[in-house]
Formats: sequence, structure tokens, C-alpha cells
Amino acid sequence: MKTIENLKNYKLLAILFIAIIVVSCSDDDDAPPEENLPEVITTVTLIFTPDGGGTPITATAVDPDGEGIQDLIEDPAGITLAANTTYTLTYTILNTLPDPDEDIGEEIEEEDDEHQIFYEFTADAFSSPTGDGNLGAGNADDDINYEDEDSDAQDGSGNPVGLVTTWTTAGTLMSGTFRANLQHQPGVKTADSDSTDGDTDFDLTFDLVIQ
Amino acid sequence: MKRLLLFAFLAFFCLPNLIAQEQPCTNSISGKVLDANTNVPVPYAVVKVDGLEKYTTTNEDGDFVINALCSKTNTLLISSIGYANLTVVHEGNSQTKFLLSQEVTGLDEVTLQGERLKDVGTESISQVVLDQEEIKSIPTQSLGTALSSVQGVTFASVGNNIQLPIIHGLSGNRILVLNNGIKHGFQNWGEEHAPEIDITNANRITLIKGATGVRYGSEALGGAILVESTALNLNTPFYTNVGVSGETNGEGFNTNLELGSGSENWSYYANGSFTSIGDRTAPDYNLTNSGREETALGVGLLHKNKNWNVGVRYSYLDQNLAILRTSFLASPEAFIRSINADEPVIIEPLSREITDPNQETQHHLAKAEVEWLYADDAKLTFIAGFQLNKRQEFDVRRNADVPIVDLDLITNDYQLEWKHPSWGGLKGLIGVQYFSQNNDNNPGTFSSPIVPNYNIERFSSFIVEKIEKGRNTFEAGLRLDFESNSIRGREPDNSTFRDDFSFTNVTGSLGYVREFENGSFRSNIGTAWRTANPFELFSFGQNRWRLIFGLLRFAEDENGDPNTDNVALFDESDVQSERGYKFINEFKINKNDSQHLLTVYSNYIENYIFDRPITVTTTVRGPSLAFIYDQADALFLGADYNWRNNWTKNISTDLGFSYLWSRNIGDDEALINQPPISTSLSVQWDQGNLLGLSSSIVRLRSSYTFEQFQAPRTIPIEDLVEGSAEVTLDSEIFDVLDPPAGYFLLDLSWNVKWKNFSGSIAAQNLLNTSYRSYLNDLRYFADEPGRNIILSLNYQFKSRKNNE
Repeated sequence: MKTIENLKNYKLLAILFIAIIVVSCSDDDDAPPEENLPEVITTVTLIFTPDGGGTPITATAVDPDGEGIQDLIEDPAGITLAANTTYTLTYTILNTLPDPDEDIGEEIEEEDDEHQIFYEFTADAFSSPTGDGNLGAGNADDDINYEDEDSDAQDGSGNPVGLVTTWTTAGTLMSGTFRANLQHQPGVKTADSDSTDGDTDFDLTFDLVIQ
Repeated sequence: MKRLLLFAFLAFFCLPNLIAQEQPCTNSISGKVLDANTNVPVPYAVVKVDGLEKYTTTNEDGDFVINALCSKTNTLLISSIGYANLTVVHEGNSQTKFLLSQEVTGLDEVTLQGERLKDVGTESISQVVLDQEEIKSIPTQSLGTALSSVQGVTFASVGNNIQLPIIHGLSGNRILVLNNGIKHGFQNWGEEHAPEIDITNANRITLIKGATGVRYGSEALGGAILVESTALNLNTPFYTNVGVSGETNGEGFNTNLELGSGSENWSYYANGSFTSIGDRTAPDYNLTNSGREETALGVGLLHKNKNWNVGVRYSYLDQNLAILRTSFLASPEAFIRSINADEPVIIEPLSREITDPNQETQHHLAKAEVEWLYADDAKLTFIAGFQLNKRQEFDVRRNADVPIVDLDLITNDYQLEWKHPSWGGLKGLIGVQYFSQNNDNNPGTFSSPIVPNYNIERFSSFIVEKIEKGRNTFEAGLRLDFESNSIRGREPDNSTFRDDFSFTNVTGSLGYVREFENGSFRSNIGTAWRTANPFELFSFGQNRWRLIFGLLRFAEDENGDPNTDNVALFDESDVQSERGYKFINEFKINKNDSQHLLTVYSNYIENYIFDRPITVTTTVRGPSLAFIYDQADALFLGADYNWRNNWTKNISTDLGFSYLWSRNIGDDEALINQPPISTSLSVQWDQGNLLGLSSSIVRLRSSYTFEQFQAPRTIPIEDLVEGSAEVTLDSEIFDVLDPPAGYFLLDLSWNVKWKNFSGSIAAQNLLNTSYRSYLNDLRYFADEPGRNIILSLNYQFKSRKNNE
């Protein structure tokens, strides 16, 4: 009788040890899976093309290490425009982390009903738009010359996107700033939404000189 | 005639006595009282002979003798605190073993589990036990809040749902949390991960304030928390506990059920609980997205066969924890706006819905334990534990419906322990352990992994011994750990990195206990070590509202500028393991109606790992506050004091005070996020029977938490953004907001019992005070919740029939 009891116990221990071996053999040596990081933006170029031709004026902001700690590099250090000139502003928006580079600008165009670029600049730097831009809560209706509107607006009518805008400079300005802020507003973008809605895709401030 | 009658009367009554005196009673009973589950001797049990005024108590080894009994057959009544009373009819003079079953704490019984037998190797360390009644009075509380009533213990939190216990200034992976004897295996990094343990059905929680690395495993630099779920007691009639509770703040409710039974050879239990809480409110506004939903299940089975005990337990916890919406801001600029605002930037109407940001976790724990009680004072124990922790975290972002963190962590534990027989008075435990963890990232997060894939393996062996000499007890312990780490990570550009490193470490402890007539003195010095967690080494980039860079991801370039381009190899870096030396002394004095308890400690930690703000970096999305992990030598000095006094039979007071001084002595600067000084006074009116109730206890607790005057200097975040405050890597530590002001809180509770019911009504933050806690990571964004009234009701059914 006692032997049977002991046998039972040994069986139990045997089962436990088998369980251990099975569990212990599940080690692996894999790296985390490859992830596609959609719509990461590392490089934004603002292109000011003068009306009636001429060399476009560009300003590029590059985040050399993506999420890393290094500061953003702006090249050139600021935007220098000619006085009393009308420019069309367009963008090149890239993710340079993958090879080849990914054109995020195309994605934004495809999702234009979810995106809007808001602007802020030194007051009266431009004769058109007037004022100091439409950034900030409740300022969305302030004057900006949007030349595009979204194709598939959620509230039924086309709302501005801001990938194409026009700017007419006023007189000379020694030291000003020009800020462009792309907001991603899925399900939020309406005629009333402003720059505090949604989340930020980019928010760049450049020094502005008009001469 | 009258005299004759009187004589006859006296003779009739006195005769038996006279005869008895002539034939002296020579029977005796000797025996040993043992715990029915563990066969451990039960000391100080009261053994009484029914019908006679004869009784004795068992000695430390559970032995007793009752001499000079007249009858050969006697009925013995054996009782001891924490055990069910035993009535046995005993014949003859034979020496017998008497088995006492541990008692299921009932509603009609006084809870007296406070004097739990301390584990070998921890006797000289100050410890505190929370019993079921204290835990159940607020069933929705977390492990962190439940323990924070203990002096010297508080909690670090991220909102109201994630609360990590802090013991003497240390938290996270410097506190070992053992769930039924198994180290809780979870994503233990950062401030936003608390142990996923449901305490609603916990039977007992023991808090050990000293470095217990030797006994329970390294990492216990600050202390250990032992959570025990429902006990598996033999010889216990079928019982069922049902509890419900509701609370006003967050319209939360909890229901819990527990049932179990034990026969001579079998015992089982099953329990479950469900909690749902909606958005909480601070006194002045709603705390949008602060709800919680939690489901817990547990089962256990024990079989006793002669000297063998075989037990299995399984528990499951499913949590969905909301994190305050306003703490995850869409842009760095909004973050700056938010921390400078008096109210949260985002306040929505109250809702029960939990949306992003949130954390969804499932934790499975399965455990098997085999005990071989091969001798009265010796046993062999084998424990195997398996844990699966699945965690998904959701951020406010473009792909908010896809988790940004999606991890599976498998933890295996095997322990073999030998409680050896006394070797000339030397009692102790010798053990070997194998511990392994396997962490894997699941695909589809659209984000580079913040924690790499890793495998950790650890082989350990330990010995703890004690010897008693009169009123002195001496303890000593030694432990050897060998740990290997294999790391595989992936960068944002999808390239991979690998690292392999290993450690061998020795830890030790020495302890001394002296018992006095009316008190005791305990002293313990213990060492502990831990390696940096993979998150502390490898984290990179966005983590909630900040950027964070691990020890191996961050370097100073030749110009003295920060650089995070490369991943350093562990063995080539100057990263060192953390090593702690904790010296803790406890003085306990019981005098008349008062008890004084003073704990004084020092803890020196070499290579203490902590995170701190380092700079504001500009990104495409705007300026961002960046944190790094750093190492320094830190010193913690402190004291906890508690004075309990019974003024009358019914009225008692409890005065508590906790003081902690801590500093980075390597760089001679402040440490960040350290607990401020706190003090509390509670008044208790315990009226026993009142208005037909069998028990009524009213408790008023007031507490004052001081402003943290040892906090680092403040640099406003705007100054960092504008560049008017110049900070370099060598600058003194700073914070971006002043520590919050001190605050006074009042809590009131009334606990009652009636027949098989017990209930309580409790008010937390009775005065609806607006305050912020320095230890809450969300202090940058919102106030703590306002007044909360909690009503709870428990019913216990206990069948009278014992299945003997």
C-alpha cells in the first residue's frame, strides 16, 4: 500500500518535471518584428515660388535623428523673401528613415480631409494675408490665402488644406518669424476646427526677413 | 438528630473528595499540537481539560503535558489564535499529535492574524501585516493604496489606476512583489506599471521593510511585499463569501465571491471579482478618462497524503486602465500649455467609456507546490510557477486603435527549498532557484519597440539560518546569483541591435532580535542588487508625454552635446548594477495601554538608477521635454514612528510620522520624486455591541503631507524652450514645475457587523480638498480626486457541519 502511495507521488513529480522541461524549452532568439512607421516626418521643405517666375526660395527643417535627442536643423537658418512680391508656398514632406525616402506629402494629399496647415507670422509682414495668421484657438477663420480645399469634406463642403497658399509680402522686415503647423484632425476637421484640434504632425518656426 | 443529619449530609458530599485524596490522580496527557496543513508546531496554544480547571499552553515546539488527571478519558479543548478550536476525546496516557486547522476569517470572529509567523530570514526585519478585513473594507483599492496606511510606505502613481508601492523612498523594481510565493512577473519599468494583482480576494498582505534579497531574491533593495490569496485549509466546513460595494466618485462598483471547503485530505477554493469605475472627479472638474475595469478569477486545490502536500493555484486578472486624457497631448506645445494651466486642457462630460490613452493587461499565474514533511521539524518544498503577462498600451495618436506597446512576457520560476532539522539549535532554510523571463514584442504596433525582446535567466542558491539563545535570536543569510541577459532590439530605421551580458553577485544579511519584558528590538543589515531593467537600458523616444532615453542609448559627444545615435554595448559601457546596503532597526515598546513602534533606517545605494529631465529638444513636432536615465550614489535616511494608545476600553488613537531624507551624494544634489514627510492621527471608537450590532467601529483619520522641500530646483519649461535657461548635461538636476503644496486630508469610516453580515461606509477626502500629490506623475496636469463615499456589504455563509 505504501509503495503505491509513493509511486503516485513519484508520478506527480515526474509530471511536474516534464512540464518544466516543456516550458523551459520555449526560449527564442528573435529580434522584435519589423515595424512600418507610417507618416513619420523627418524633413520638411517650404518652397516659396515667386509669381511670374524666378528662383524659388526654400527653407528646410531636418530632424537628423528622428526621435533622438538632437535638435532640429534648419537650412538655411531662415526665410528671406523680397518685398512687395507674391509667392506661392508649397511643400516637400519626407520620411528619410526608410530607404528609399517616403513621400509623406502624397499621403497628406490623399487624406486631405484630415489635415490642415495653420500659419502664424509677425503681424503685418504680408499685405495679403493681413494680420498675424490663423494659428491658435478660435483663430481658424483669420485671413490666410488657402489655394486648395479637401476633396471629401466631412461637413459637406470643401475646407482648406494649406499645401498650396499664396503670400504677398509687405515692406521690409528686419527680423520676424514664420510658423507653419500641420495638424492631423481625423474626424475632427470641420469648417470650425482650429490648430488646437487633433494632433500635431509638424510645427516649425523659421526666422523671416523681407528685404 | 439534626447534627446526625448534617454529618450524613457532609459525608455524602465530601466522601468522593476524601476518597480522591486517598487515591492521587496519576494520569497524564502529553502531546504535540501541529498545524494541520503544514505540520508546523503551534506554540502557545491553550490546551484545556473540559470540565476541569486544568489547562496549559504548548511550548515553542508545540509540546504540552497535563499531569495529575484522575480520569483516563478526558475531553480536550485546544485553541490558538488563527486556528479553529479543536475538541477531542482522549484516552490513555499515550503521546498524541493534535492537528489544528487554520481558520477562515469569518465575519463573526475577531481577526487576529497580525502575529503571523515570520518567515525564516526575515525575523529581524520590521514588518507589517494587513489582514482580510482591512483589505475588504475598500474592495476597489489597489495594492499601493492598501499599503499606504503603513508608516514609511506610500505610493507613486500615474493617475488613480496605476499605483506602485514605495517603501522608504524606493519603488518599482526595487520592491519585490511575491504573489503566493512567486515573484510577480510583469512589465516592471517606468512609473506607469503597477503589479497586476487583485487584492479583493487576498487573505493577507505582508510588508517587509528591509532588504530581503537573500530570502526572496535579489532586487528587494527597498523591501518585499508578500500577497497571499485565499488560504487552502483542511477540515474547514463549506463557506461562501459574497461582497458588493459601490462608490460615489466614478460611480464605481465591485462584486466579489469566494467559496471553499476542506476535508481531511482535500481543500479547495474558487474566487472571482469584478470592478468597474467610470471617470472620477476632482473637486473642481472632471478627470476625463480615469476609469477602470477589472476582472479577476482564482482557483486553488490542495491534497494532503500522509506527509505530502500537493497544492496548485491559478489566478487570472484582466485590467483595462484609463490614463487621464489631458496627460497625453497631441503636441509638445500643448504639453507646455497644459502644465502651465490651472485646469486640465481637456475636460469632457463624465463617461464610463475607457478610451486612449489606456492600458489593457491580462495576467495568468499558475503555481504548483509540493511539500514533503518528512520529519517533524524538517521539510522539502518544490515550487513551480508559470506566468504569462500580456500587455497592450494605447496612446493618443494617429493609430489610436492599434497598441503602441504590445508585449508578451513569460516568466518561469522553480524553487527547491529544504527546511533542515535543527542542527544543535541552528534552524534554517537552504534553497536553489531558477528564474527565467522571455519578453517578446508583438507585430503591428506601427512604432519602434520601446522595450527590446529579451531573455533573462537566473540561477540562485541561498541559505538562511537562525539560532536562539534565551531572549536573543541571531539570523544570517547568504545568496549567490548568476544572471544572464540576451537582448534583441530594433531601431526606428528597422535595423537591429543585440547585446548579451551576465553577472555573478553575492548578497548577505545579518540580523538580531532581542525580546524584552514589554517590547522588542530588531536590527538587520542586508545587501541587495539589481541589474538595470531593459527599459532603463534601451528605451528610446516618445514615452507618454515625454521623450526618454535609456542608459545605453544616451551619450555625450566630443562637443559635450547629447547624442542618441548609437546603442552602446553593456560590457563596454560604464553602466553598473545597482547595489544596496540597508540597515534597519525597530524598537517596540508595549506599556499598559500604549504601544510605541519606532523604525530607523539607512539605505545606501551605489549606482542608483533614476530618470530625470535633461533638456528641451526641438523636433519636427515642436519643442519636447527629454528625460534620460542616469546613475548616481544615493543615500536614504529615515524614520517611521507609530504610537497607539487605548484611552478607554473603547477609544484609541494612532499617531504616525514618517520622515525621509534622501540625496544624490555622488553629485551632492537632490533626488527627484522622493516621498515628502507625512504625518497622521486617527481616532477609533470601537463600541462592540451597539444598536443590536455585534460590532461597530468608527474611525476618523486625519493626515498632513508636507511639501517636498528636498525637491530639485525648478526651471520653467518656457525658459527651456526659449533658451533663456541654459542647461548642459552637467547642470544640476531640475524639474519643470515646483512641487505641489502640502495638504491636509480627512477620512472617515464606520465598520459594522451583524449576524453573518459585515459592512462599512467610508468617506475618503471628506472635506473635498483640492490637492496634488508630488508622487503622482500627473501632478503636472490635474488635481487628485475629490470626496469619495464607499459603501460595502459582505455576507458570509458558513455551514455548521464539519466534513470530518
